[in-house]
Amino acid sequence: MPEPMRTTIERLDRPSAYYLGRNKKRKFNRDHDDQDDREKSPEEQEDPLKDATTLYVGNLSFYTTEEQIHELCGEIKRLVMGLDRFNKTPCGFCFVEYYTHQDALDCMKYIGGTKLDERIIRTDLDPGFQEGRQYG
Amino acid sequence: MGDFDRRNAGHRGGHNRKRRFREDDEFDRRPPRRQYQEPVHVKVRKQLLAIAESPLKKIDEEVQEIATIVADNYEDEEIRGNFLELALQLVVEQALKIPFVAAVVLAVNVKKPELAYEVLTRSSTALNKHFNIGAWREVKLLLRFLGCLQAILNDEGVFPVLEELFSRAVDLQTASSDDGLGLEIVKIILLTIPYIMASSAPGLEAFASALLEKTDIIASAPRPLEALVDPYPSGEDDDTSHQAQSIISLLQRQLQTEAAQSWKLACIPRPWRTLPIDGGAKLMAPTKHSLPSIIVPSSVSAGARPQLPEMYFSVYADQDVETVPPTSNIASSILRDALVDTISILDYNRNATAKFLIDLDCYFAPETFVKRATPFDRLREVDEGKSTWKPEDVAVDAVFSQLLQLPTPEHKLVYYHAVLTESCKIAPAAIAPSLGRAIRFLYRNVDAMDLELEYRFLDWFSHHLSNFGFTWKWTEWVDDVELPLANPKKAFIVGALEKEIRLSFAQRIRGTLPEPYQALITEAKEKDTPDFKYNSDRTPYAPQAREVLRLLRAKASDSEIQVQLSSIESEASGLGIAEPLIPSTDAYMTAICFIGSKSLSHVLSCIERCKERLLALGPRSEAARRQIITSVMEYWSEKPGVGVNVVDKLLNYTILTPLSVINWALTDNIGKGRLLTLAHIYEMVASTLHKVTNRVRQIVIARNQAELPAEQKAMLDETLEKERSQMKELFATVEDSLTGVASGVVDEMAESRDQDTEGEALLRIWGGKWLRVFRRKMAVEESWIEEMLAKQPAEGDLLDGPERGADEMVEGNGIVEGQENWGGDGDIL
Repeated sequence: MPEPMRTTIERLDRPSAYYLGRNKKRKFNRDHDDQDDREKSPEEQEDPLKDATTLYVGNLSFYTTEEQIHELCGEIKRLVMGLDRFNKTPCGFCFVEYYTHQDALDCMKYIGGTKLDERIIRTDLDPGFQEGRQYG
Repeated sequence: MGDFDRRNAGHRGGHNRKRRFREDDEFDRRPPRRQYQEPVHVKVRKQLLAIAESPLKKIDEEVQEIATIVADNYEDEEIRGNFLELALQLVVEQALKIPFVAAVVLAVNVKKPELAYEVLTRSSTALNKHFNIGAWREVKLLLRFLGCLQAILNDEGVFPVLEELFSRAVDLQTASSDDGLGLEIVKIILLTIPYIMASSAPGLEAFASALLEKTDIIASAPRPLEALVDPYPSGEDDDTSHQAQSIISLLQRQLQTEAAQSWKLACIPRPWRTLPIDGGAKLMAPTKHSLPSIIVPSSVSAGARPQLPEMYFSVYADQDVETVPPTSNIASSILRDALVDTISILDYNRNATAKFLIDLDCYFAPETFVKRATPFDRLREVDEGKSTWKPEDVAVDAVFSQLLQLPTPEHKLVYYHAVLTESCKIAPAAIAPSLGRAIRFLYRNVDAMDLELEYRFLDWFSHHLSNFGFTWKWTEWVDDVELPLANPKKAFIVGALEKEIRLSFAQRIRGTLPEPYQALITEAKEKDTPDFKYNSDRTPYAPQAREVLRLLRAKASDSEIQVQLSSIESEASGLGIAEPLIPSTDAYMTAICFIGSKSLSHVLSCIERCKERLLALGPRSEAARRQIITSVMEYWSEKPGVGVNVVDKLLNYTILTPLSVINWALTDNIGKGRLLTLAHIYEMVASTLHKVTNRVRQIVIARNQAELPAEQKAMLDETLEKERSQMKELFATVEDSLTGVASGVVDEMAESRDQDTEGEALLRIWGGKWLRVFRRKMAVEESWIEEMLAKQPAEGDLLDGPERGADEMVEGNGIVEGQENWGGDGDIL
């Protein structure tokens, strides 16, 4: 079977090794973990990032404001700042939700790894924000 | 480090679930592998992928080695298959390597003509495919590849294909002289000719000249649309660097010059010339193949991007020593085209793009450039007759040609920012001085430049500095700080500083500025939360407004708030104010801004809570609706960027209408046009109009979907008609107001004709600049819509942009819906 066509140059809009590694680890642990110990239905096996519109943005300064993130990231549907669980103060990451999957990919390609507030920020595709995840 | 020591402990089971160091991921826990030899197919793949990349390797040896391996292993399906696939992929993905891949094929042809023929077959298949879907860049690159292989083709080789293409272009041009596709096709023909002429095939001059004679009539014809995309529209000055020239007319002239000089084409690499002697003899008399059939479809497909004429743009046009090829030299077009393709294709990896730009001298003939990173001042010492072209200037110039491309470049602007940032990171010593000269050129020309480009320059400049510690030699513009705000240079400085602050914060930016600039950053800008103006009793209606604030904070019922607002309204009526809703709206909206001043989420959750009342205001009074904008912009007067952002969200909520924003900016507050000098007002107007045009585009895309039931399509067409006419009205409003400023007939301007004539003249120029931008936007939208409506949706037609359900488009009453309350106000506020 021929592999799906890969580009001659690596793409920057792919999920990071961290995200992929995390999934692998889950699989590895499945035998020990009751919750994961069931057969996955075909829908679940489908790539949850296929249409992802949310990005995790990390390595922010604790002082970086929402306005600065808006300034850099362009038109955003919603922004959720990562907060310290106890103090409710920013703790260096956020979730940026775009209107389209393409906008999220573009942010990965063009903004991930550049500076915001003089820190190099990290971006990663995310299956979507859920309440509770803003607490780091 | 503890983690380092424990690496061998084998904690995969999950005792240490949080892996903190990358080493953990990369550390191989198995014993080291035995030394192993890479399989041949892997080795040759790597070699081919990296072809011409290293200046240390001899290109002829690289080519020969790859050719030998693939020819000797012809029977190995894996090697053969990989080679064929990769060679073709490199052609369309790494355009700069085309001549080198072609050289490999020429060398392969000596040993295994069958394999070379397979390359040709695959290329024609790919070409046919790309013709059919209108992928014109791929067509161009494949034709270039075949052009480099002309020597192993029978008869006239690629020329008949070019002739065929030309007749399609003629058809298109005959149908309409505004047609962009025909021009694009002629450009492709013209850009293929030099590669054929530089190939090892002899005796083609007559064909080339005949073709050039034919293209002349299309390439050299004047195009009225060119005026729309002229980067320096003012037209009065006779500075030659400002004379806009279309890429296609330049190409035509350059090629004619080149034909007269027996096709020297000095910059094109010719790796086939230096191939070793044993194959060399056979290279000169190669086995020839007939080009497998290439069928140019009788009606060609336009592809994704509608075309306006492309203009040649350079930021190094006016220097006393040439650092980039002059527009009289074909090298300017060949280098630019290859670089622009590289930049456009590789948007998915800006690091790779930057690497190509830095290494660009590897991909052209030796002696084309001076040594990398040669300082500008040293160029004067270069020997007569030798090149003074700086590779980094040529690279930077190509990026700016896209960043400052009208009407829009292929990718988001931030991509081009990122490419320049990355290039600067890889080779700061080489790139930074080139950028410095580019910045100075653009700054010098800010007065004459198209306004949209001026703001693109400003956005890039501030963003770029934010990646490099905000360092810039501000001292060199010190004299301009004294200029009036309506002066474009001063407006640029003010706008750039504002943008820097938005990316950072006022105190930080203040610290980067020399003394004369300090006054531009007021102390009020350093304040996180602007004051609530009603805290002062001198502000009218202060007691009621403070009460509104308290009630809003306490999440009191709307009726309680209404009591206070009614009190303001009756007091205002008593004072004889014509629209009492204005002061009450001011109090209400200002209180919302104050409560929401902590962050954008705060203001959004507050707006969400007050949505009903805000939504009801507009239908009652248009003046009150515009007061909402006034209140927001007044509250955020020191940080107008925040204000613009809030206005944008209010539009999404349909609390504001696009027309209300346009009227607020261009009618209510137009005054003598002073607002037109402010970058954030431009931003507000441009983004409002963009929302409207973007929505119309979404509707067009939705109605063009292939399998749409007729009924839904009719509904969409109805919506489209309505929204399209609203869009036109909006643009007409813009046009009217701006025409007023540009011609100086705005009321206030007419009244005070004799005072401050110089200032008014400047403002009139601003009016004219704005007018040009928005006329162009309207023209571009209209032509896009016309083109899309004329298009028959093909089966499985790829639509650019997000697809939306038809129902959603019909029912949608506003622009973008679905702002949810996500501020979590219970938690944060």
